Amino acid sequence: MPRHFEFCFAEPHRDTRGGPNSTPVRFFVITPTMPAPVIELVNVRKSFAMPGGEAVNVLDIDSFTVAQGEHCALEGQSGSGKSTLLNVISGIMRPDSGKVLIDSIDVARLDEARRDRVRADTLGLVFQQFNLLPGFTALENVLVAMAFGSGRPNKARAIGLLAAVGLADRLHHKPAALSIGQQQRVAVARSLANRPRAILADEPTASIDAMHQQQVIDLLRTTCTEQGVALVVVTHAHEVAKQFPRRVRLEDFNRAAVHPAGEARI
Amino acid sequence: MSLLGIAWRNIRQRLLTSLLTSLSLALGVALVVATLVTGGLVQKAFESGSGLGYNMIVGAKGSPLQLVLNSVYFISKPIENIPWTVYQAFLPAIARLDGIDGQFAASTQTAVPICMGDYFRGFRVVGTNAAMFDRLTRGDGQPFIFMSGGNLRDSDFFDGVLGATVAAQTGLKVGDPFAPTHGADDGKVHDPFTVKGILARTDTPIDRGVFVNMEGFYLQDGHAKPVDSVENGEHATLENAVDPAAASPAPRYDHDSGHEPLPEAQREVTAVLLTTASLPGLPAELTAMGLRTAINEGRDAQAALPIAEIRQLLDLFVRPLELLLLFVTALVVLVSAIGILVSMVGSSLERSRDVAIMRALGARRFHVLTTVLIEAVLLAVGGGVTGWVLGHLLVGGVGSWITTNAGVSASVFSASPVEALLVPFLIMLAIVAALLPAIAAYRTDVAKWLQGPG
Repeated sequence: MPRHFEFCFAEPHRDTRGGPNSTPVRFFVITPTMPAPVIELVNVRKSFAMPGGEAVNVLDIDSFTVAQGEHCALEGQSGSGKSTLLNVISGIMRPDSGKVLIDSIDVARLDEARRDRVRADTLGLVFQQFNLLPGFTALENVLVAMAFGSGRPNKARAIGLLAAVGLADRLHHKPAALSIGQQQRVAVARSLANRPRAILADEPTASIDAMHQQQVIDLLRTTCTEQGVALVVVTHAHEVAKQFPRRVRLEDFNRAAVHPAGEARI
Repeated sequence: MSLLGIAWRNIRQRLLTSLLTSLSLALGVALVVATLVTGGLVQKAFESGSGLGYNMIVGAKGSPLQLVLNSVYFISKPIENIPWTVYQAFLPAIARLDGIDGQFAASTQTAVPICMGDYFRGFRVVGTNAAMFDRLTRGDGQPFIFMSGGNLRDSDFFDGVLGATVAAQTGLKVGDPFAPTHGADDGKVHDPFTVKGILARTDTPIDRGVFVNMEGFYLQDGHAKPVDSVENGEHATLENAVDPAAASPAPRYDHDSGHEPLPEAQREVTAVLLTTASLPGLPAELTAMGLRTAINEGRDAQAALPIAEIRQLLDLFVRPLELLLLFVTALVVLVSAIGILVSMVGSSLERSRDVAIMRALGARRFHVLTTVLIEAVLLAVGGGVTGWVLGHLLVGGVGSWITTNAGVSASVFSASPVEALLVPFLIMLAIVAALLPAIAAYRTDVAKWLQGPG
């Protein structure tokens, strides 16, 4: 549930008109609050050791947040640390320092197994290469994602998700038997398998033609809106980015991206 | 979708490689199963001969093992015949023409003579008497059972009893005539005998025997000891064996056919199957040892203990051979298990990308490690079970040959207790073989494999 309101107990108000022994009156105050961010990065630093032993900073971010249900396009040049940022948010990589709060859980402090669990339960990932499992059917690709979450694999939900992206008649097709657009649809359905709080899409349109690009963006945005899921799309295509209500350039908040040493492609 | 389902999908994705890996494992397992089962059958075949109700065999001097193989298992050729007087030395007064107890009668409970040298359609023909089936047992201490007909009778010289395998193979029934051949299958054809009885299956060499009344056997061409050698006194006798009526005919006649029995002086036996008795005040083992020593010290015959000979044969030859075969087939299984390793390492590049995808979807390292191990176990179980079935089909295929030649029942269902350990052993082997690719999957660098060109 979105936390747009907060319930709290107020101080008991004593009705003095009834005399010293009158019963105190309790009441609730409902105060509007800002929704808690689904993703929040605080003072995140990440560097890699180069073969010569020199450390290269890739991420140097004071603050970055994505609110519940927010759609955000993240633009950045090659080497600006986009992939590293997604890996850090998704818990695949651990930052050198700082906090990475996913649904208020600091994954930077968790061990790898717990980060994996948080990723499975809270985040959906869509890759540039789709990364479907080639030996599995469309339905099985969605079911596999469910297998690693906290809930039990739900076949009916998996079928529903695939139907929602227009693949009700392609459930038992393997990726090789699907078109590029259909494969990306399976990837979108799979990312929603465990009812995530946010979807991270890494260049989801980079490998497909212009006609399908718009379809994929529409699909992602529509589905995320319907499910109330935050969406972060990493892209370097302006025509994609300009469709999002929030556009952020990585260079604007990642100091390592504009530092000369950060130009190295990581 | 469970980890088992994922592992099964991975196997189906690499169907050809998986099938070939499992097939190689299956062939190895089939060899092991066939070796185990046939080894067990060979052992059973030999052990079955040691419980036929006699504990000593007396025959011509020579190899005691050959005497046992020939007399008990109908394998190999008889060494030589022994004089009739040797047989008589074990008979009590009531069974002898002279009415005097034989030298070893007190130590003897049962003495059954056997005469060999003839064949019938590849099966050994054994001349003997009714005591063979009245006094001896069918391997497990139980009396012989006739499936049809009955036992030999002393007065019916040309009656025969067939073992179960012989009856099944030849199709002969009670009342049918059959004519043994001399020395070999293509030897001179003797007079016909009549099937008097057919024995129930015993799973012993008895099943492969054709038993005829030795009185009829003696009357065939070439079976009587030449008269001149009798006259010249060439026949050997046991020391102190008393047989004043040796040259006189036995007082038994086949009244129906009018045949006279062969005079005792012209008789020989191939061996005598003995059940020893306890002498007063002596345990049975000591009586047997004393009897054996007394016979072996003589110059006419030797006494062999079938159980000891068979145990020695098993220990010195059969078991080491079986172990050697088992070792070779175990190596085959080991090579097959290495096949699993090679197959999995070969597909590890392809697997790395899949593993990275699954890890990105939230799979723990433990999940991917377990999935790879489950894959190996599935291959091992698939190959193991297929091999187990193949092995038994193989044994079933040659079962009739084993039944005919070894005298023990061999079928698809023949099993060795060691087989129960085979699949668990294979699973262990597969897990060990898959550890390397499993650890490689465990250590897959997710970020590296997922990174796109953008």
